Amino acid sequence: MKPSLARKLPLILVAVIALGLPLVVRSATYLHIVILLYLYAYLTTSWNLVGGFAGVLPLGHATFVGIGAYTSTILSLQYGISPWIGMLVGAVLASIVGVIIGLPTFKMRGAYFALATIAFAEGIRVMVENIDFLGPFQLNGPRGLQIPPLKTGIAHFMFAEKEPYYYIILAMLAGVLTITWAISRSKLGYYLMAGGEEPEAAQALGVNVARAKLTAMALSSFLTAFAGTFWAQFTLYIHPKSVMSLDISFEIAFIALIGGRGSISGPVLGALLLRPVSDFSRIYFGSTLPGLHLIIFGVVLILVMLYQPRGLQEPLTGLYKSLMKRLSGAREATA
Amino acid sequence: MLFILEDAINGILMGSIYGLAALGLTVIFGVLKVINFAHGSLLMVGMYVAYWAVVLTGVHPYISLVIVVPVMFCFGYFLQDILIKPIFKAEKQVREPITVIIVTTGVWYILDNLSLMVFGPQYRNIQDNPLQGKMLEIGQMLISVPKLWGFCTAVLTALVIYGFLQKTRMGRAVRATSLDREAASLQGINQYKMYNIAFGIGTAVAGIAGATLVPFYNVFPTVGVLFDIKCFIIVVLGGLGSIAGALLGGMIVGIIESVGPQFMTATWTEAIVYGLFLVFLFLKPSGLFGVRYDW
Repeated sequence: MKPSLARKLPLILVAVIALGLPLVVRSATYLHIVILLYLYAYLTTSWNLVGGFAGVLPLGHATFVGIGAYTSTILSLQYGISPWIGMLVGAVLASIVGVIIGLPTFKMRGAYFALATIAFAEGIRVMVENIDFLGPFQLNGPRGLQIPPLKTGIAHFMFAEKEPYYYIILAMLAGVLTITWAISRSKLGYYLMAGGEEPEAAQALGVNVARAKLTAMALSSFLTAFAGTFWAQFTLYIHPKSVMSLDISFEIAFIALIGGRGSISGPVLGALLLRPVSDFSRIYFGSTLPGLHLIIFGVVLILVMLYQPRGLQEPLTGLYKSLMKRLSGAREATA
Repeated sequence: MLFILEDAINGILMGSIYGLAALGLTVIFGVLKVINFAHGSLLMVGMYVAYWAVVLTGVHPYISLVIVVPVMFCFGYFLQDILIKPIFKAEKQVREPITVIIVTTGVWYILDNLSLMVFGPQYRNIQDNPLQGKMLEIGQMLISVPKLWGFCTAVLTALVIYGFLQKTRMGRAVRATSLDREAASLQGINQYKMYNIAFGIGTAVAGIAGATLVPFYNVFPTVGVLFDIKCFIIVVLGGLGSIAGALLGGMIVGIIESVGPQFMTATWTEAIVYGLFLVFLFLKPSGLFGVRYDW
């Protein structure tokens, strides 16, 4: 087997499985779980652009989810604009907010940065909860916005079945992974990694660390807002607690940290490992052992941080590589 | 006008309890240079310990401190020893390991949800305790008695910790470690033991804050979250590592929360507190009393 084919084969296999999954999984519940898994993989990959590559710990990304969700919903409910356009508007708005947050906070180190992003996110959530009308836009405060499922179809970003949502979020995930892959090989990617590990040394070499971080933040918040619109169209009901809460920000960061921040496969791996735990423990133990999945999250997080601080991605890729080597070795021996 | 004065006084009293909770966080930060994200959960654990001590033995809520303080000190001591010490050992060069934030967040999730599993989601409060609903009448003003007790406890605790750090031999060793952990090690100070002690003190203080809250505040598994972010805000306002700053920062937040509703919807005060926090973070990150900090 040619080495290039051997490297491509798993990718093709994954693509075939992902594309064909809805043909096999007919249960709406399970498809729902998979869609949420992809959504979190998407969110975490977007987060990873800042939290992974730039080496800081943003804990307020739910803000951008909220901005995306609210912008597209308000535009479609009150102005009849298609959510697809609203999605773009929301993303632009989110990246502006991202830069505004990033400008002062990127100068801070470690814990201060994490605290500042929490304060921004919580402050914005509290404000949305308290505002019924923002100028001409109706936010409805803590009651949130409901999207009546009147018109379905691709133009309205609304479907009766789950399958279309599945393929949309799959395409979004594939897109964000491609973007991350491209960035990790671009100048920006190298700037970010250099700035994240040794900011002083990178600066001495003429890297504009601050600008690289801001670019990453703008891109990350832009992409995160897309997920907000998807969330709104998928659940058809948004309120500040559901799309802007600290829990979402923390879960995104958890998944990335457990999977392996700063790597491309880490966030997807993290979502693959953690989302099923959270969904199934809620289904089976939700009434008897509430909060079980969060305890598992916490335990796994601590263990990973203590014993595998670069995330589970590292040992798993090592395992995969040695497995592939043994397989190809066995094949050569027989041939 | 009298209303505002009354609100301001009650705000200062409540704020001093916030400050007491934040005091534990600031002691931990001052020595370990890390932010303990599980602090609110430790406060919650302290509240449950105090609650059960009072319910099972029927003693006065403040006598429960005899149990709360040693239990919480040991809890914090071993928490740091088992979970956080390995990080310090692995990341010797890093001055403020960000990994500690992540690990303590894990502790937060575990503690909150364990108590949800064990004690259930219901709100508990101590029925007919001697402090419940007591009001002190000064002229036409009504001052909450349990909060007044909390205020006295906060000031007393701050003085005791200050005295410990300044006057005792061990306190000096803790301060030496906080100034320069390598130099302190060279003087024969076991820095990891000092970290354990500082974390134990911080946790015990969170427990004291929990015990002072129990007579008038509901106990429930996520009560810590309400105090967690408030504590972060307070320590930054007062200056990370400053004991007086924690109390003063707490009182500022308390006043905003209790006087604010006279002028606006009560929920808006929360947004004001976040705004104030961000302003301080940008303009004066060392806070009111903090030492200037290179960052």
